[in-house]
Amino acid sequence: MGRTLTWKQGCQEGLPIFIGYFPTAIAFGLLCRDLGLKAWHAVLFSATNFAGSGQFLAASLMGSGALLIELFISVLLINMRYTFMGAELARKLDDDLSWWQRPIIAHGTTDEVFSVAVLHPAPLPKGYLFALEATSYLGWVSGTAVGFLIGMILPPSLQLAVGVTLYALFTVLLTQQTRQKGAMVLLVAGISAAIHTILTVVFSFAVGWSFVISMLSATIIGALIIDEEVAQ
Amino acid sequence: MNPVIPILAGAVATAIVRLLPFYASWLDRLPPFLSKSLRLLPIAALGPLIFPAVILDYTPTWWAGLIGIAAASAVAWRKNGMIIPILLSILITWAILALPF
Repeated sequence: MGRTLTWKQGCQEGLPIFIGYFPTAIAFGLLCRDLGLKAWHAVLFSATNFAGSGQFLAASLMGSGALLIELFISVLLINMRYTFMGAELARKLDDDLSWWQRPIIAHGTTDEVFSVAVLHPAPLPKGYLFALEATSYLGWVSGTAVGFLIGMILPPSLQLAVGVTLYALFTVLLTQQTRQKGAMVLLVAGISAAIHTILTVVFSFAVGWSFVISMLSATIIGALIIDEEVAQ
Repeated sequence: MNPVIPILAGAVATAIVRLLPFYASWLDRLPPFLSKSLRLLPIAALGPLIFPAVILDYTPTWWAGLIGIAAASAVAWRKNGMIIPILLSILITWAILALPF
């Protein structure tokens, strides 16, 4: 790890992320199609948000007719993890970014980019990080466009099955977190899932508000019962 | 409502949390309980992102998505990586939906 990281290495390390994002982005493109959006709406969605779970949540809230404020708060909360990832990346970057470079580098912060980049010791050259982010970004945005387009030819049963991608993605993330941090993770996610299910199915709460309430309640319960090391 | 408005609302919300650490250094000095809570937020988000939608989306064949994600979880427990578990879940869900009952 002694040698300096180059933009070329950033592209190479971004390739597996590109491949991983592509099928998930296809599912997002299909979802946008189901919602009645146009192709450019779907691409605009992925290009401006570039946030897997946040986008799926925003899209499903749009589909359920949620208020704009519900959508805004829900997306803000679900993506809050990027603040911590960005803080770590900002600390590791080799030199000060100029004012116009900061938003570009910040826009590329995702779970996968973060987990690849932090494996390298500081300092991280900004060219490397930019290339890593740009390759991943390309996979996400192009996958969305492809997903929207293949929606025209996929049979309905397969389209419905591809919809499981979203839940499979979250399940895989949850499984990985549980494996790393223990069963407490499952408890926190289980509490929030149970609250959300009761609020939406039994009490017919608006999905956006129910999402916010269940996530915050489970977070506070979790913070009270979980050790600091597990939360790291 | 024009769909561009909620799309851009999501973009602004995401941009705020992404830009914050590149401009605000006080993030390193949050009270421990708040810091721990914020770290648990994404885990707490995963539960309601999966349930109850994974069941409701496939009603009346409500178990289709459930078995699909169970398979994804079983593979993810043993191996790192996302592609194989996700593709497997699509395949299994599709097979269940294609069953003649």
